[in-house]
Amino acid sequence: MKPISTTSATAGASVRISRLEKRFGPVVAVDGVDLDIAAGEFIALLGPSGSGKTTILMSVAGFEFPTSGAIEVDSEDLTYVPSNRRNLGMVFQNYTLFPHMTILDNVAFPLKMRGLPRAEGHARAEAALATVRLAGYGHRRPNELSGGQQQRVALARAIVYQPRVLLMDEPLSALDKNLREDMQLEIKRLHAELGITVIFVTHDQGEALTMADRIAVLKDGRIQQLGPARELYERPANLFTAGFIGEMNFVDVMVKSIGATIAVALPWGETWQLPAAAAVDAMEPAQAAVLAVRPERLELGAGAAGQVGDRQAVEGQVIKVTLSDIVYAGSALLLIGRLPDGTEIRARLPGASRLGSLAAGDVASFTVPAEAALLYRRSAR
Amino acid sequence: MKAPTDRGALLLGAYVYAVLAFIIVPLVIVIPMSFSQNDYLAFPPTGFTLKWYAEYFDSRQWRAATWLSVQVAFLTAICASLIGTAATYAMVRGRSRLVSLFQILLIGPIIVPHIALAVGLYLFFQTIGLSGTVPGFVLAHTVLTLPFVVFTMAAALGKVDANLESAAMSCGATRLQAFRFVTLPLVLPSLASGALFAFIISFDEPVVSFFLSGIRQKTLPRRMFEDIEQNLTPVIPAIATLLIVLSILILLGGHALRSRSKTQSSAG
Repeated sequence: MKPISTTSATAGASVRISRLEKRFGPVVAVDGVDLDIAAGEFIALLGPSGSGKTTILMSVAGFEFPTSGAIEVDSEDLTYVPSNRRNLGMVFQNYTLFPHMTILDNVAFPLKMRGLPRAEGHARAEAALATVRLAGYGHRRPNELSGGQQQRVALARAIVYQPRVLLMDEPLSALDKNLREDMQLEIKRLHAELGITVIFVTHDQGEALTMADRIAVLKDGRIQQLGPARELYERPANLFTAGFIGEMNFVDVMVKSIGATIAVALPWGETWQLPAAAAVDAMEPAQAAVLAVRPERLELGAGAAGQVGDRQAVEGQVIKVTLSDIVYAGSALLLIGRLPDGTEIRARLPGASRLGSLAAGDVASFTVPAEAALLYRRSAR
Repeated sequence: MKAPTDRGALLLGAYVYAVLAFIIVPLVIVIPMSFSQNDYLAFPPTGFTLKWYAEYFDSRQWRAATWLSVQVAFLTAICASLIGTAATYAMVRGRSRLVSLFQILLIGPIIVPHIALAVGLYLFFQTIGLSGTVPGFVLAHTVLTLPFVVFTMAAALGKVDANLESAAMSCGATRLQAFRFVTLPLVLPSLASGALFAFIISFDEPVVSFFLSGIRQKTLPRRMFEDIEQNLTPVIPAIATLLIVLSILILLGGHALRSRSKTQSSAG
C-alpha cells in the first residue's frame, strides 16, 4: 500500500480502460470497451440495466477481474491488483456504512487499515466530515442519520485517504428527488474542490447530463457514444442514443437523392429537402432511414387554422398533426398526436404557450426547423 | 359473535398448558426425588437429604465422566463454531455450483439417524484408534452439532450486506480484515449462541457417546445410563437436577445474546 500524502490537495489520476472484456459464462457483460479518462475528469457511465456499466466500474474497483483487457491508473497497470491495494475511493448505492461503528470510526476506517495512529486518523476523519458538511456528527451511529447524511458519510470515508480516483455506483438512486439534487451539487462541489477523477455510474440520464464532463452511453456491454452532454443530446451518434437520451420523435423515411441537400420521401407522400448536415449516418439513394426530431424543437405552426407552409423552405418543414392529447405539466405543455400516416408524434412547448382554441381532435401544424432534423440509417436501429 | 372465538382461545390455552405440563412435570418430579432418603429411585420421595449430591461430587468416577463431558463439549463448541462459521460464510457468499451439495452435507447429520452415524463412527474409529479418546468424541460431536451452528450463522450472515465487505476492501482492508472488523462484530452474538447450542448438544449427547465410550473414558450421559442399569440410586435425579439448572442458565444466556443481536441488526 502506498503511503498517504500529507498535503491536503489531491490531484486526480488519469484512468485508461483498454479493450476491456468480461464474460460471465456465455453472457458477455462488457464487450471490448476502450475509455480514456483524463486526470480530474468527471465521467458518467450511463446505460440501462444490463448494459455493463456496473461491471466496468467493478473492474476498475477490483471487485471483478476482467476476462481480458487492461485497466491503468496513471499508467500503472491495476487490472489484476486486489481491490484493497488500488487506493481508489468507492461509494456504493446503499451507503454501506459499518453499523456497529460510530460515524467517526467509519470515516477513519481506511486510515486505520493504512496503519495511521488512532488520534491522527480521527483528526483527519473529522476534517473529511467537515468537507461533506457533517462536522460534529462523529459520535453518532449510522442508523441515527438520514439517508442523505449517510451517503455524505460514505463520501467522506471514500475521500479521507485522498485517493486520486473516486468511483461511484449509483450513489444517489436510494435518495428521494430533492435530496438527490442537493447531493448532485454536493458531489460536483467536492469534485471541483478536490480535483479528483470521478467515475460515476448511473441509469438516470438527467443526473449524467447535469454532473459529468463527459458521458459514456452504454448498451449491451459496448460504448454507444462518448462525449459531453450537449453533443450527446443535440447530435446522438446512433439511433439507440437518440432514443435513450431524452425524448425523440422518429419518422420512417426513404432517401430519394443526395446533393447539396438530401431529399427524403415521407410516408404520407411528401418530399422534404434536408440539409446535408442532418445525416448522422452516411446516406445513399434508396436508403431506408429514420428522421429524428426532439419534441421541444417542434414549433407550433404560424396560423392557428393550420395552414401548410412552403414545402421547400430551407428554414423548416411543416407537418400536420391530429392531436390526441394535450397535457399541461406546469413548466411544459405536452402535445401528443398522429402524423397523416399514423406515426405518433410529441411536441413539447413552454408551459406558458397560448394554444388558442386547439383541443384534442383538432389538426395542428408544426414547423420542423431544418437544423433540428437528424437522419439515421434504419438498419442501424 | 365474539363468544366462539373466545371459547376457541380458551380451548387453545388449555391445550397449550396441558402440553407444557406433560413436558415439564417429569422434570419437576426429578427435582424432589433427588432429595429423597430412599436408597433407590422411588416416588413419592421420602425425607430430605443432600447425600446424593455429596455422592456425586465425591465420586471419582462421576467427576471423571463430568470432566470428560465438559472437555468434549467445550472443544466441540469451539470446533463447530470455527468450522460452521467458515462453511456458512462460503455457502452464503460463495458463487460455486457446489454450494447446494455442500449445504446438504453440512445439514445431513440432522437427517441421518444418530444410531446409524454412531455405528459408522464406531467401526471407523475402532480401526484408526480414535474410539474412547477426547479427539474422537470431539470429532463425532462436531459433526452432530455443525448443522445448528450453520443454521444460526446462515441467518446472521445472510443479514450482513455483502457490499459492507466490499466497502471495507475498497477502504484498504484485506478480505480477512474485512471479515474481522466488519462481518464478525455484526454476527458475534449469533456465533456465541451457536457455540452455546453446540455445547449443550454435545454435553448431553447419549447415542454416539454410548458407542464411542471406552472402558475408562465415559461421558456423563453414558455413565448415567450405566448407573441406571446397575444401581438405580437417586444420584441420577441429583445429576439431572444439576443439568436442568445448568441448561436453563445457558439457554437464558443464549436468549440474552440473541435478543442483543436482534436489536443490533435492526439498528443496523
